[in-house]
Amino acid sequence: MLKIFSSILSRGSKTVFTPGIVPISFPAQNVRTISLSSSRNEWEKPVGPRRWPRQNKKVFPPQEIGEERRPAFVCHMNLNFKYSPDKLWYVACMVRGMTIDEALRQLDYVKKKGAWIVKKTLLEAQELAVKEHNVEFKSNLWVSESFVGKGLVVHGIRRHARMRAGHITYRYAHYFVRLEEGPPLENIYPHKLPRDGPTLLQQWIEERRNERIYNSV
Amino acid sequence: MLKLNQLRILTKLVPPPMIFVPIATKTKANKHWNPKWKKFRKLKVVKIKLPDFYDESLDLKNLTPDEIRSKMKEQGLQPPKIYQERTFDISSTSDAFEPYVPPEGDGKMSLISVGGVKQVGTLIGKKSRSYLTVRKIRTYDEDFDVSLFAPEAQDIYVNLHKAMTDVPLDRHKIRTLVTEKAYPDVVHNLRYKILKWDFLESIEPPRVVHGRHTDLISKDNIFAQLTVRFHTKQVLAVYDRFGRLIHGSPITAKDVLEYVVFEKHLSNLYGAWRIHHKIIPEWLTVAPQDHRTLRFDKEAESTPTDTKSLPSPPADSQEPSLSTPLASGTSQPQLSTA
Repeated sequence: MLKIFSSILSRGSKTVFTPGIVPISFPAQNVRTISLSSSRNEWEKPVGPRRWPRQNKKVFPPQEIGEERRPAFVCHMNLNFKYSPDKLWYVACMVRGMTIDEALRQLDYVKKKGAWIVKKTLLEAQELAVKEHNVEFKSNLWVSESFVGKGLVVHGIRRHARMRAGHITYRYAHYFVRLEEGPPLENIYPHKLPRDGPTLLQQWIEERRNERIYNSV
Repeated sequence: MLKLNQLRILTKLVPPPMIFVPIATKTKANKHWNPKWKKFRKLKVVKIKLPDFYDESLDLKNLTPDEIRSKMKEQGLQPPKIYQERTFDISSTSDAFEPYVPPEGDGKMSLISVGGVKQVGTLIGKKSRSYLTVRKIRTYDEDFDVSLFAPEAQDIYVNLHKAMTDVPLDRHKIRTLVTEKAYPDVVHNLRYKILKWDFLESIEPPRVVHGRHTDLISKDNIFAQLTVRFHTKQVLAVYDRFGRLIHGSPITAKDVLEYVVFEKHLSNLYGAWRIHHKIIPEWLTVAPQDHRTLRFDKEAESTPTDTKSLPSPPADSQEPSLSTPLASGTSQPQLSTA
C-alpha cells in the first residue's frame, strides 16, 4: 500500500497523461470517430436520424392466448457513407422484399460500392435481431423496408477560367433497413396488387369502413 | 479505368470463380483519347480532406494506445476523463449477513413425518439469536411485534411485484420498497419487457423465520434483517417487446415458496422495512428459463458450457418448490416461479 502511495506522490503535481485507456469503442454510425464529449461532460445536441432507431424501443401490449403471434422486427441504420444516395437507392430497392439469405447471396454479385454498404447493414441488423429482439432463427427474416437518406454534404470548389469558381458537392448517404420475422410478403407495393374482382371489392369495403361520417354520433 | 475504391470492392465481393470471367471494362463515350490535359484538369479541383467514417484504420479497436494518442493530438482533443470512483450506500448493507439456510424439502414434508419433526427441532435450536434481534428492534421501535410484521412484510412483497408490472416502470416507487442492494436485481432485464403478475392467496400464513442485526462503521449505526417465509399461490407471465409470451403463463397458478430478507436501518428515524435479498439454497436446481434454439460458433462447440438449450424437466404445479434466484443471470429472472 505504501509503495503505491509513494509512486503516486513521486509524480508530483504534473498531470500524467495515460492514453492507454479509452473506455468506449464508438460504433461506426457515430459521426465522429473519436468522442469529443468525454473530456467535458457536456450535453451535446444529438445528430442524425432519431425517429428510426426509436422504433426499436416500442413495447407492444401482451398478446392474448390464441392470438396470432406478432412477428418481431428490428430497425437498423448506418449513417454517412461516402457514396451518392442516388446510386445507393438502386441497391436498396433491389433487396427490398427479399429474405435475408437471398439478399445477402445476391449482394455478393452486385458490382457497386453500395452493395458493401447494404450488406454490412443487413448483417448488423440480423445480429441485433437475434441478440436483442428475441428472434430465434436468424434466417427467418425478410427485408420489409430498405431505403436511403441524405447524409452529410461537403461543398468543394473547382477553379474555372477568369477567376470564377465551380461548385462541387461531395455527398454522403444514410442507409435504413427494417428486418421482419417470418416469410416475406407476396407483394410489398400497393400499386402492384392484382386488379381482379375479389381484391378490388376488398379494397372498396376497406375504404367504406374507413370513411368518416360527418356530423354523426 | 477502375477507381481504386471500386477495385477494392470487387476484390472483396466477387467470389473466386468470377475472377476468371473478364470484368466488364468501362468504356466512357465522353472520355478524351489523349490524356495530355488530364493532370491539369485534376489540378483545377481544390483538394479538401473528406472524412471517412468507415475507415478501418481509424477504428479504435485496431489502434495502439500510442496511435490513439497521436490521433487525438492531431485533432486537439483532451484525453478522456477516467472515473474510478466506486459508489457506495450507507442506507443499506451490502449483503444478507448470516443468512437463513432453508431446510431441504421444506414445504413438502409433513410435520408428522420423521424429516418434518427433525426440521422443527433444528429450527428451534437456531432461534436464540433471532430473539436477540427482535429485542434489539424493540429498543428502537417499541410497538414492534413479530406476528404483526409478517402480514406487513407480505404487503411490501406484493406491492413490489405489482410495481414491477407497471408500464412504464415507476423506479422511484420501487426504490421505496427495495434496498439499494436489491434494486439492480429487481430492474435487471425488465427493460422492454412486460410482466403480468398476480397474487392469488397465501397457502400458509407468512412467518418470520430468522433475524439478525449488525452495526456498521459506528456502534449505534444498526441494521436489522428479518427473513420471512412466504408460501403463496401466484400467476406469472413475462412478455417480450412484441407482447409474445416468453416465460410463465397468464392462466396457470403456481405454488411458490420463498424466503425473503427484509432490512431496516434502525438508527434512522425514517428507516423503513424494505426487501433486501432472496435466499436461494444451494441444493435448489434451477430449471432453464429459455427454450430458444442456440447456434454454437466453432470455438464454442469444443466447450459447450451453455445448457440453455437443454429441455427443462416438466414442472409440477401441485408440489411447491423454491423460487429461482433474483439475479441468476438468465434472460428473464425477475420473478419467482414454481
